[in-house]
Amino acid sequence: MNDDYLWDKSGDPDPEIQQLEEILGTLRYQPKPLQLPEELSTARPRRNYFPLAAIAATVLVALLTGGLWLQIRSSEPSIPAVAIAQPTAPIPGPPLSVSPDSPRKRTPRRVKDDRQEALAAKQQLMFALRLASEKLNAAHRRTQDKRSSYENTLPN
Amino acid sequence: MATANMLVINPLANAVPESRGDCPPELPVEVSLVSAVLDGDRESFGRLYALYAPLVHGILLARVPRAEVDDLVQDIFLHAFKKLHTLRDSAAFGPWIAMIARNRAVDYYRRSRETVEITDDLRGTDKQESKAAEILELIRSLPEAYRETLVLRLVEGMTGPEIAARTGLTAASVRVNLHRGMKLLREKLGFREGV
Repeated sequence: MNDDYLWDKSGDPDPEIQQLEEILGTLRYQPKPLQLPEELSTARPRRNYFPLAAIAATVLVALLTGGLWLQIRSSEPSIPAVAIAQPTAPIPGPPLSVSPDSPRKRTPRRVKDDRQEALAAKQQLMFALRLASEKLNAAHRRTQDKRSSYENTLPN
Repeated sequence: MATANMLVINPLANAVPESRGDCPPELPVEVSLVSAVLDGDRESFGRLYALYAPLVHGILLARVPRAEVDDLVQDIFLHAFKKLHTLRDSAAFGPWIAMIARNRAVDYYRRSRETVEITDDLRGTDKQESKAAEILELIRSLPEAYRETLVLRLVEGMTGPEIAARTGLTAASVRVNLHRGMKLLREKLGFREGV
């Protein structure tokens, strides 16, 4: 078998392959005009940037809220662990001396107030995050709807 | 056939020169054509059609009944026109449309499993055509890897390097498929006492 002729029609022609080409050539593609409907378009669909912008804005709001909360929290003096702990029996030995320039005294009432503020700030952050999540979901749903409606408008 | 609101692209009027000399050699002509079509030049799609219709015709001929091939070629190019913006690499237009053709052939049998007779009518209009249909049936009975390459070579008259370039297969694969496919076809033809 002449492989060169089969490969690229070079070299000595192979009579059997030539005969097959002649017979099967009757089935060869006959050029026919292609009819493209006028309304058919291949233009790239216009990109809708609204969902991206909505997501970016939501993330920004969440970051700002978180940053604000952290700032508020750090501006307050930290609550010492011993203040939250339950009162324990007095430690035997000489009484501890308290320096006069120690930070303001943290009474149990003050500690309670601080905890309430922290809780309120936490709730605000959780609300902001929930809101951000809802907005993300809404943007995602809107994108899906638009995509499916665009695909439905395409003719089969 | 109604031609109102239709752009009729004649592949002969849009024939591409054999040398493809109107494009820099390092840049396949498909790249500029695809780009032009995406920019709204529908005539450039006619040139792509002229270039690739034989490939699509051959791929279909290796798989579906002959009577269905011409309509499917049109369908595939319409589909390709609509989806051209999804083609990421313009240079890969050939492998892309070849894959669409193969998938459409699979869909054809999936959709019409119960109504379509797979074998072609072997009674051609003349003896030559009847013989051609008979040999085509033999080629279709070969493994899938060989039948497409053989149809493109023996029916569509493409050379091995052309088949490799248009389908995206490697030249080595095409060469092996041609060699082994031809060997199997000869054996089958031998059983049938020659062509």
